[in-house]
Amino acid sequence: MHAHVATDAQLMTELPGSKALAAGQLAHRATGGDLDAFEELIRRLQRRVYGFAFQHLRDAHEAYDLTQEIFVKLYRNLGRYDSERPFEPWFWKMATNTTINYRRKRVPLPSEPAEEAADPDARMQPHDPTLVEALAQLDPSYRVPVLLHYYADLSLEQVAAALSLSVPAVKSRLHRARGVLRNSLADAEELGRP
Amino acid sequence: MITCARVRVLLEAFVDGDLAADDAARVRAHLSTCADCRRQHDQAISLPFRLRALSSPVPGPSLVGDVMQAVGAERGGYRRSWTLLVPEAVLAAFILWYLSGLDGLSSIASGVFGDLLSLGSGSLPHVPPVDVLLLVALIALVVVAAFHLSILVRLASPRPAHE
Repeated sequence: MHAHVATDAQLMTELPGSKALAAGQLAHRATGGDLDAFEELIRRLQRRVYGFAFQHLRDAHEAYDLTQEIFVKLYRNLGRYDSERPFEPWFWKMATNTTINYRRKRVPLPSEPAEEAADPDARMQPHDPTLVEALAQLDPSYRVPVLLHYYADLSLEQVAAALSLSVPAVKSRLHRARGVLRNSLADAEELGRP
Repeated sequence: MITCARVRVLLEAFVDGDLAADDAARVRAHLSTCADCRRQHDQAISLPFRLRALSSPVPGPSLVGDVMQAVGAERGGYRRSWTLLVPEAVLAAFILWYLSGLDGLSSIASGVFGDLLSLGSGSLPHVPPVDVLLLVALIALVVVAAFHLSILVRLASPRPAHE
């Protein structure tokens, strides 16, 4: 699956009997108590949010739990969303804070299948297991910006806003993270060589 | 002359075009002569594409339903929290009725005030203690109800946050 390109303008959909709405408009409607708009909003975000949570936690159950927590928190905080501003950075800032503060609730059993909480029709083996493993070893302060930028497809400015950092600081973390990943991949290649 | 170790630290910034011109020129010159660093450079170029192409399982179909259920429970809980005000209102109304409404209330208040003023002259207050007790209970009820109300209003209409 390629990461979804997801700016507000691209997050458009059809609600029954209405014209296409951007995510920010849906959030604005949901603030007024429109649960259909809120449901549509989470339908659109669920794959990216779950994928982000999964890449961060490497556990399907925990990712499911965290995704739910992020969406419930979104609902609770809808009143704080300023519809004059773009929805995505605001949302991902909240999602990132929830992810950073998330405490694992369970210890996965060694024999347990990794993706029970995922859609059984869509279970898959990672197609780049070396990179996935290297990413899992990365310190969260480097992993989160990498996932936000390359996986959730946020711009550098949006990542900076989500993490309350400057753009140069985000760039520096991304460079450092990619350097560490590159070294891990090189080490894995060395080990894999006959 | 730039070392391999230094080049490898700079590779990501070089790939992104974030290096100063003279540093970039040094890295470029080194890459033209060092096969090991060229391999690292190739990795550095492909890594962003590999990261963008990472796959994850999709969430189970129950996710949206579970979230909506949790949200529905929160809404119900919030509506129920308004019912906290009902016993407070009933008790306040009962006390007001017992004290003969606002007229009774003001006469008790002025009586207590007059008694407090005459304390210095030696005469004892003559307001029934039950009335004073009810007056204190009424004030406490109003304070508690105002506190509850402020919480509920704050939950109902949070201010937009500029983040």
